[in-house]
Amino acid sequence: MSRDNNKTSTEQRRPDRAALAIAAALAAIAAVIFLDVSRLREMAGYSQVGPATVPNWIAFALIGLAIWTVVEAFRGDFPEREKQQFGPVVWIVAGLAAQMLLLTTAGFSIATGILFALTAAGFGKRKLWMTIPVGIVLCLVIWLIFAGLLQLSLPAGPLEHLFL
Amino acid sequence: MATFEFLLQGLLAAAQPLNLLYALIGVTLGTAVGVLPGIGPALTVALLLPVTYRLDPTGSLIMFAGIYYGGMYGGSTTSILLNTPGESSSIVTALEGNKMARAGRGGPALATAAIGSFVAGLIATLLLAFIAPYIVKLALVFGPREYFALMVLAFVTVSSAFGDSTLRGLTSLFIGLAFSVVGIDQLTGQNRLSFGIPDLLDGIEVTTMAVAMFAIGETLFIAAQGDKGPDKVEAVRGSIWMSAQDWARSWKAWLRGTLIGFPIGAMPAGGAEIGTFLSYATEKRLTRYPEEFGNGAIEGVAGPEAANNASAAGTLVPLLTLGLPTTATAAIMLAGFQQYGLQPGPLLFATNPQLVWGLIASLLIANLMLLVLNLPLVGLWVKLLTIPKPWLYAGILLFATLGTIGANPSVFELGMLLTFGLLGYVMRVFGYPIAPVVVGLILGPLAEQQLRRSLAISQGDVTTLVQSPIAAVLLVLAALALIVPLILRARGRGEVLSQMAASED
Amino acid sequence: MKHFFLASILAGALALPAYAADYTIMAPAAPGGGWDQTARSLQTALQQEKISGNVQVMNVPGAGGTIGIAQFASQQKGKPNALMVGGYVMVGAILTNKSPVTLKDVTPIARLTGEYEAIVVPASSDIKTIGDLVAKLKANPGAVSWGGGSAGGTDHILVGLLAKAAGVDPTKINYIAFSGGGEALAAILGSQVTAGVSSYGEFESQVKAGTLRLLALSADKKIEGVDAPTLKESGFDVVLQNWRMVAAAPGLSAEQKKAIQGDVEKLVKSKTWQETLKTKGWADTYLSGEAFDAQLAKDISATEAVLKDIGLVK
Repeated sequence: MSRDNNKTSTEQRRPDRAALAIAAALAAIAAVIFLDVSRLREMAGYSQVGPATVPNWIAFALIGLAIWTVVEAFRGDFPEREKQQFGPVVWIVAGLAAQMLLLTTAGFSIATGILFALTAAGFGKRKLWMTIPVGIVLCLVIWLIFAGLLQLSLPAGPLEHLFL
Repeated sequence: MATFEFLLQGLLAAAQPLNLLYALIGVTLGTAVGVLPGIGPALTVALLLPVTYRLDPTGSLIMFAGIYYGGMYGGSTTSILLNTPGESSSIVTALEGNKMARAGRGGPALATAAIGSFVAGLIATLLLAFIAPYIVKLALVFGPREYFALMVLAFVTVSSAFGDSTLRGLTSLFIGLAFSVVGIDQLTGQNRLSFGIPDLLDGIEVTTMAVAMFAIGETLFIAAQGDKGPDKVEAVRGSIWMSAQDWARSWKAWLRGTLIGFPIGAMPAGGAEIGTFLSYATEKRLTRYPEEFGNGAIEGVAGPEAANNASAAGTLVPLLTLGLPTTATAAIMLAGFQQYGLQPGPLLFATNPQLVWGLIASLLIANLMLLVLNLPLVGLWVKLLTIPKPWLYAGILLFATLGTIGANPSVFELGMLLTFGLLGYVMRVFGYPIAPVVVGLILGPLAEQQLRRSLAISQGDVTTLVQSPIAAVLLVLAALALIVPLILRARGRGEVLSQMAASED
Repeated sequence: MKHFFLASILAGALALPAYAADYTIMAPAAPGGGWDQTARSLQTALQQEKISGNVQVMNVPGAGGTIGIAQFASQQKGKPNALMVGGYVMVGAILTNKSPVTLKDVTPIARLTGEYEAIVVPASSDIKTIGDLVAKLKANPGAVSWGGGSAGGTDHILVGLLAKAAGVDPTKINYIAFSGGGEALAAILGSQVTAGVSSYGEFESQVKAGTLRLLALSADKKIEGVDAPTLKESGFDVVLQNWRMVAAAPGLSAEQKKAIQGDVEKLVKSKTWQETLKTKGWADTYLSGEAFDAQLAKDISATEAVLKDIGLVK
């Protein structure tokens, strides 16, 4: 992506805040691992490597990586990031969340049709009055193929029950 | 020689027009279902097996072989075109394949995958037919300590897929390893990092992670770039077929991939994805175009795809000779065989030669049908990329979630899909490679369990790890793979190595 | 292709008549496994024998069936057309996973099929009888490594029961858990472990081919056509059957339960089901009503005791 990081490192003195946040997240994962495996019983097995040993190694490594990340953050070794637009991300995440929440009650077609429409909206197609019905019909066809013919267990809702 | 006669008989039976049609239907259905991210060959075969029950034994065996090969090939298509590997064994294909597709070389990438799969399938099926009994003896020598050594070798070699920063590559790997300890510890039955959530007791599903990190992470990342990028990817630049150079660079990779994949597939705990990792690393070491790795090197598609197919044929070695189902796919195939009256086991070749050779002949025919179906379709597949972004990505998410729901219709699983999708997005933004997370998730538990098993068997004697010659050799190889590049780098030739790998995106 | 699909679906939808009890069967496992196969075989048999018209199979995989049973107990409560497949593995999984929902929260209907556990050694082993193996175990429990399925599963439980019956401390057994029958079998064949434990079906073809030596079975009496003693005959009071059952939703009235039991009985006696058992190689161990309830209670208490002895459950 950017092989000329070293040039910028001399200009950029301030630590990279995002990198520090990543380091903190890594350390937090390590802490969670330490905490959780400490309650495990080292069962009297015949291997000296017990259920908690490997997780502990991983946690130590994560701490090491967190420290390394902090060092790079201060040296400004992290690559430049492109500006992100968060609007589209919100649309798509909303679509996935809607699908997750609606799946069991509204059934596969309605839930996934909404995901389809909101994803398209994330990419600029905002005519939801049109894309939602299109998505639902498309998903219903897919449901008929996969659940009807192939016996895949895709949750059925009011729409699907018309065909059962 | 009786073997040849049986094989010829089988081929003749399989080559009947009606049976060829069954093979074609099987391949088509298998590809159609296998294309879904999250639905790998195992689930494809499980779902479609009942379709074959209605036919006569020969016809159903042939259709079944077609479904099996189709299901396997379907995964590579989406990996290459859409960067959404649906199963663990096509993750490596996405690394180079998608870069090729982005550069307008999706045609050659798909072609080398299809032909490589065919070549590997052909060679591996013949190997299966003629040397299965010997291979299986070798495979049984592998015990926990040998597997542990193999996993160490795999860990060292996959670091070549880490991208341009050692720190970020290692961080990705260890995030994957951290996720890999979630769930019930298989050796003591205690639950780790599951926080009392029953859905976490079985650990994090590799396919869920792969689909989330690749398909959803990628979609979010592309969307967040806004209108900067072009609305469509340029689908074809240059020829849609493989050029003379493509052929020249592919054929050796196919053969090497086959040689790596087949024995690893034959090992009861080898796993198809390990072969693809090792093949990728090998190609990267041997290539004359190191600068292309990470930007769409054709060897990086040809080798792993061949390894994947060869190892699938390899899994049939323990299945047919010993009745050992060593993968989920094989376990389902075993159930299928029983339906045809086949009882896989050590006596199978002796008691039921017609059916075994019929199956092997069916695999050969299905393999051919796969090529027949897919080569003409390459042009059509590539057109997928010309679908305008909103519909393309809406469709990707539709099918990605369909695959996940089909495998496990649970709200929690969809929640994980969303969470890991966001993680994949954030990692892309900060230039962390994605593949090592999934690699860690796959290799972590394998390495840990094999280590603990070998120590338990030896009652805590650590020297057991190097006492077997095979394990010792593998560990030495791993040490060399780790040390040699360091020496090279120290001697100032490291530039090539660091440039070889580019970041995920 | 799409048109073909649609046409068949529509044709299928039109051809289906309505029945009184359209059962929904939950397989608390992923497609392809034993419970899923049982559920789908039930589906086929129920439909073909016209006991039920439209039978749906639903997969809820995870954690030895404990995720499925939890969902089944809460969502299907009081529904007389909901069935669930389950098995002995669930008994152990409920205990080791500390599942809040247990088999008491559903209505067990009948045991359908079952398999006995077998203890084997590689043909090259110097252990000839189960007596030899136990003698070795008594001499040095750590030196006998047992290869089998996951920790706390049926195979592990059998080793624990045997150790206890032989007077060996069950916490001292050196049990090596493998993922899946194939991997364990490979380790046994390759002499990586001293002995192997699994359901007899997994070993059958190897035993017949002479690559494995069958030492004993966990059946209550000698099985015809199998040349090995039972553990009981060999002086160890251990009987273990890895069974599969069908259960109904909680909160049913006595009549509703009776109706389901009637349907299941009809099914078990049907030609379709008997043929399915034959092709799949499943033994018919049908047991229902109070006899099954009593057997279930016995299994649960014995399993809990041995899991505590091994140290997996506190």
